[in-house]
Amino acid sequence: ESDDSIGCDRSQNLVDICGEKKFQAFVCDALSVPVRNSSCDACISIAVIHHFSTAERRLAAVHELARLLKPGGKALIYVWAMEQEYNKQKSKYLKEKRASKGKEEEINTDIAWGLFCDQMHDDSQDSACSDRVLNDSKDKGGNAKQGINSKLPVHTNRTSFRSQDVLVPWHLKGGTNKKGECVKALQLPASSKELQEFSPVFHRYYHVFCEGELEAACKSLDCVRIQKSYYDQGNWCVVLEKQ
Amino acid sequence: MKLLTHNMLTSHVRGVRPGGGFPLRIQATEVKVNNVDFNQEFVARMIPKVEWGALVEAAESLGHLSDLPHELPPEYENNEDFLRKVHHVLLEVEVMEGILKCPDSGREFPITKGIPNMLLSEEET
Repeated sequence: ESDDSIGCDRSQNLVDICGEKKFQAFVCDALSVPVRNSSCDACISIAVIHHFSTAERRLAAVHELARLLKPGGKALIYVWAMEQEYNKQKSKYLKEKRASKGKEEEINTDIAWGLFCDQMHDDSQDSACSDRVLNDSKDKGGNAKQGINSKLPVHTNRTSFRSQDVLVPWHLKGGTNKKGECVKALQLPASSKELQEFSPVFHRYYHVFCEGELEAACKSLDCVRIQKSYYDQGNWCVVLEKQ
Repeated sequence: MKLLTHNMLTSHVRGVRPGGGFPLRIQATEVKVNNVDFNQEFVARMIPKVEWGALVEAAESLGHLSDLPHELPPEYENNEDFLRKVHHVLLEVEVMEGILKCPDSGREFPITKGIPNMLLSEEET
């Protein structure tokens, strides 16, 4: 298995898992990748750029990918689409049944073949609007840009997106040994009250892309040319070639 | 962190001269040697993609240079003996614990369980 691929992510815990699986990987910020200009034959960015909270940062992420590429090198980018139903076909994310017991993945992988969430029971909680983001930043002395009183809606998993900027719930299940970015939940007798306290829900920010949005961002860069642009199972995708 | 990976990494601290962040100096406290299947064609393909000087320097700093030459021999593609030595340093030597140090700024990046953490603080980017 000759392999010259190297992975990177912002999360030490997730990168550690790559290490356990004997892949080469390092921890870094996608806006500042510690690799020299024009040194990669190919780069992939799968389900990353939709986590950046401004158009500027999303563009910077594409620009950084382009910087890494040798001339002629290619980048593949996948981001979550606003349109989860396209050409009258529902994406796997929408179709995926909640009742699939057995091997439930803990970590949400919002890649092409859909999102695997473990507990989807309380959608009523999920659909409420959340002040949490605002309050957190107030407590921490604030983000100067939070002058506007805007709330980010909390998305109901497995439904269509009602807005482009959302918080998507992630339920960390107890009892398994998959790592997450948080404290592991304890194994407790099945008393629902206690279970609820130790099944934390995290809200992860997403900016889901509209048709043409990823393309437009890439087009604004002179250093790359769009070789392919397509929709794949609820994701907008591009293949870029470095000029 | 294998030396193939090390060969790709550079310091990206703000203010470092262009090219001044590469190659990172390795200070290893734990090095592992693995057995990796030799793929001659793959190794031959990798050689033009790596910074040869940086690879030799890194291997030397870990005490794994053995008799790998400082200069690339001509027509190495069919030199199995040479390619096996390259295979060893590129893919079999792994730094599990240690530090990567920026040659320009001195900034240190930790390596833990084979994983380099290259995150910078706000002030450094």
